[in-house]
Amino acid sequence: MHDSAIPPGLLLLRTFWAAMKFPKPLFVFLSASQSAVALWPIPRNLQTGNTLVKLSPNFDIQVTSIPNAPQDLLDAVARTTSRIRSDKLQRLNVGRGAGDSAGLAHAPSLARLSLWLTGSSVKSIMEEINKDIAGRSEGYSLSVPSTNEGLATLTATTSLGLFRGLATFEQLWYDDPSGTTYAYQTPVKIVNDAPAYPYRGFMLDTARNFFSVNDIERTLDTMSMVKMSQFHWHIVDSQSFPLTIPGFPELSQKGAYSAQEIYSSADIQDIVQFAGARGIDVLMEIDTPGHTAVISTSHPEHIACAQATPWESFANEPPAGQLRLANAATANFTASLISSIARTLPSTLFSTGGDELNVNCYTKDAQTQADLKSSGRTLEQALDVFTQTTHNALKSIGKTPVVWEEMALDHKVTLSNKTIVMVWISSQNAAAVAAKGLRLVHAPSDFFYLDCGAGEWIGNEAAANSWCDPFKSWQKAYTFDPLASLTAAQVPLVLGGQQLLWTEQSSPENLDSIVWPRAATSAEIFWTGANLPDGTPRNVLSALPRLHDLRYRLVQRGIKAIALQPRWCALRDGSCNN
Amino acid sequence: MLLPFVALSVLLSITPAFALWPLPRQITTGSTALRLSSGFDIKLSVKNAPKDLRDAVTRTRSFLRNDKLEALVIDRGASSAGAIKAAKSLRSLTVSLVSSGPVKSISDEAVAPLEARVEGYSLTIPADGSEAVLQANSTLGLFRGLTTFSQLWYELGRDTYTLEAPINIVDSPAYPYRGFMLDTARNYFPVDDIKRTLDAMSWVKINTLHWHVVDSQSFPLVVPGFKELSDKGAYNAESIYTPSAVKEIVDYAAARGIDVLAEIDTPGHTSIIVKSFPEHIACPEAAPWTKYANEPPAGQLRLASAATTNFTASLLTSAAGLFRSSYFSTGGDEINANCYAEDEQTQADLAAQGKTVNQALDTFTKVCHDALKKVGKTAVVWEEMLLQHPVNLANDTLILVWISSNNAAEVAQKGFKIIHASNEYFYLDCGGGGWVGQNVLGNSWCDPFKTWQKAYSFNPLAGLTEDQHHLVIGGQQLLWTEQSSPTNLDNVVWPRAASSAEVFWSGAGGNVGTALPRLHDLAYRMKKRGIRAIDLQPEWCALRPGKCDLAA
Repeated sequence: MHDSAIPPGLLLLRTFWAAMKFPKPLFVFLSASQSAVALWPIPRNLQTGNTLVKLSPNFDIQVTSIPNAPQDLLDAVARTTSRIRSDKLQRLNVGRGAGDSAGLAHAPSLARLSLWLTGSSVKSIMEEINKDIAGRSEGYSLSVPSTNEGLATLTATTSLGLFRGLATFEQLWYDDPSGTTYAYQTPVKIVNDAPAYPYRGFMLDTARNFFSVNDIERTLDTMSMVKMSQFHWHIVDSQSFPLTIPGFPELSQKGAYSAQEIYSSADIQDIVQFAGARGIDVLMEIDTPGHTAVISTSHPEHIACAQATPWESFANEPPAGQLRLANAATANFTASLISSIARTLPSTLFSTGGDELNVNCYTKDAQTQADLKSSGRTLEQALDVFTQTTHNALKSIGKTPVVWEEMALDHKVTLSNKTIVMVWISSQNAAAVAAKGLRLVHAPSDFFYLDCGAGEWIGNEAAANSWCDPFKSWQKAYTFDPLASLTAAQVPLVLGGQQLLWTEQSSPENLDSIVWPRAATSAEIFWTGANLPDGTPRNVLSALPRLHDLRYRLVQRGIKAIALQPRWCALRDGSCNN
Repeated sequence: MLLPFVALSVLLSITPAFALWPLPRQITTGSTALRLSSGFDIKLSVKNAPKDLRDAVTRTRSFLRNDKLEALVIDRGASSAGAIKAAKSLRSLTVSLVSSGPVKSISDEAVAPLEARVEGYSLTIPADGSEAVLQANSTLGLFRGLTTFSQLWYELGRDTYTLEAPINIVDSPAYPYRGFMLDTARNYFPVDDIKRTLDAMSWVKINTLHWHVVDSQSFPLVVPGFKELSDKGAYNAESIYTPSAVKEIVDYAAARGIDVLAEIDTPGHTSIIVKSFPEHIACPEAAPWTKYANEPPAGQLRLASAATTNFTASLLTSAAGLFRSSYFSTGGDEINANCYAEDEQTQADLAAQGKTVNQALDTFTKVCHDALKKVGKTAVVWEEMLLQHPVNLANDTLILVWISSNNAAEVAQKGFKIIHASNEYFYLDCGGGGWVGQNVLGNSWCDPFKTWQKAYSFNPLAGLTEDQHHLVIGGQQLLWTEQSSPTNLDNVVWPRAASSAEVFWSGAGGNVGTALPRLHDLAYRMKKRGIRAIDLQPEWCALRPGKCDLAA
């Protein structure tokens, strides 16, 4: 577990708390209504009451206590201020909150939310999230009183923590049918809500089909609403190379689907800044040595078995083509293109991929066979040299390499013990990665692949299911146990996890609806951990109404999130269970 | 058909490579480039042309200008630039009727009984730039031909072109019923979503919207004389279809060659009526719902009550009056016997009349269907009414076969007409996981997902004898919306729902491998027209037909 130590700010907070003189009796009846609060991910520590509080017409969020507040924090405050007015989400019950209207006539109102930073230095949200994954501080404390003209407080040691707290605060508000904005379960008291795991991610593949900068930024915005911290960007693959790399413009010029379907260097910076300002670190991946067929359109000398047929003999999916890993020139080319893009990115992480290496491709490649022969190496030895070349290049610019599990489990490759391994083939392989003492990110196809279940996409297969059938429902994902079959000593190796969208059958048209709200499932698993704030295990039944709430709120914010049930069910918690 | 003879033998090619969907039943193409002249126009040579035909011509002109679809080849057509520049240009398409009788509107043709509809057309596009000709015996046929014409063209730079002139098509559908069903009760869809869907349907020559408008969860339909049903049964005051909204939808559909077959499902799937007429509903919201219904909430019309029967008949009659179609569906699926067994009032009604539930159902159905007949509507029912209950149905009743396509044979044996709506091939909602709350690891009941390939492989005549073939009037794909809403409507429906459109227009037996490039083309064209159709494959594959097949 991570980030669970009490931050230095907490003592200060307690002092502050006493100073605010909240009437203590308000908190005595709290436990019964906890799970009904529709926060997602649900805070690890949460107490709520059942008093209605209106948002004062003059409500504002004050940051004056923070000297030189960073611009991205001010921007976040402005977004929160706007959302609590514009969400206009009605409660998901039969009257859509009509039952609250009478009480609201005489309800107290909240005048202000004050932000307090208790850390020693004031850094931007982006600087905080771009820190090493072990050194981030995301915790916050929030109190929303039930008193008239009340003053709410949000306290954290970092701007990043404040940002997480704003994401919580935003989810407290509803409109009644007459348009009064209110919270219905005050007082709310959250003390040091901090994530169970630092890596809470979402992976998007922008190579099988292209996604515009706007699509990506809309997705980042949504990710930030559920406190995700990592965008794993599988930006290129065998089908297309939309990434502009300084010094290697020909890769995208010849490898992108079209001149319009390219991420320029400015686009990349735009996305990285947009993400950083929303508490999201961008982990970019250039998958190597497999998944690189498209490089043959600009550098044919570096690619073995380029578009070889039948593709089934040379790759897991068309088109075939892999970097000539035994070739020194190719290894240097790869290291140099990876460092060229990695050094433009603020993250300390960069993924070199390493999944689905096809041996036959190299067996049939005369050049690779000649290279192996002249160097006296086996293919595995050549892969080791290749990987060390690219990883050393990354390390020399301060980056930590990330790889898919095959690099640790299937090949005899020397990986530094800082390397982060993504477990995707089976959740059960996490134990083997941990046994090697390597840190891991859960990305199991059997729980977290969002693309599964839509049928085989290979052309002439008349009736086949997708390889990872069935569809991974949110319920399935929600039951994932990050610590299954790990020893207590191995627990710290688990950095977190993510749901993933491979885009063979997706494109901007269905991005929102295939991702949301499903991808929020892992966001809660890895923020909240195994238990609800009352100490009972997280469970699908109590999660469903909160996930409905999130879904309807996302729709209010313009995200085309899918309906999980008929609205009849969404308005009647428990009535559609069996 | 009195279409002019086409000299097929003079044409160069008989293998159409371009992307028409559904594929015309007779088509020959050449290999000559032809582009649309900058002054290209569609000349409507129909006396007193009805407004909906003139509007269809206007929309076609707009598609030709605005689709701007580049060919789905690696260079998106660039290597043909020379041929296109040198190509003859087509100055006009002349649209005319062959027959000289009174001219009906597309709308009037579209809502006529199935056997009276004439949808065939012929289209000739010479390679030498001389005028193209579209002819038909009906305005509905002309509309189908305009739809075909608008799919022929690609964009390169400022040119709109085909590489496959001359083109000769003689076309008409294999089956008269080609539908799409939408459920607007589990989740609500605004009028604009329905109209956008109707547009997309018309592009693939679908001719029926089967509108499952109400169900146990909500009653969005405002029925004259029964306004309390929607007042109290809609999700909210905005989530309703007023009579004027229904008229708007019906007119919009008809102008696009689509008949709206509305359904008020009875006696099951009616729980929501309890909000306004509690006296008519047995086992309303009874718990556990699993004992009383196939999905929550439970509640069925008290079919043994004379008052409820009359209420239902007059509700159906009033609702049917909102629609132009000759057909109306009374549903009839998934009746739960236990709901009635435990309903005191139903038991008392049965005892008083000395009837079994099935006998009461027979009476109930006869009253409802007679009422519909009186207002000129032919009844449509789900298969249970014919196969599971001893109900007397008029022999013109249309039967929707959904539980299993194998059941079509039994329907045919009884001599009834069949609409294929098989869940195993055509349910678009399957495969999204179980939606009932705590069904942690459950798949959807009709798992797996029905791919376009699966739907495309459907054989409408399987298990039928040759003399039963005429009983198959067509089929449809269907969207039940427990897990759908406006946010994913386009992408759960398109381009998949076009699969059955081709099966029932072009006839079964199509090859998935050769259909795929055409379906890519359709999906990309739909996207150009503002439909959020899903991608079937990486774009790399879409630009390289066959390269992403197995053993490619």
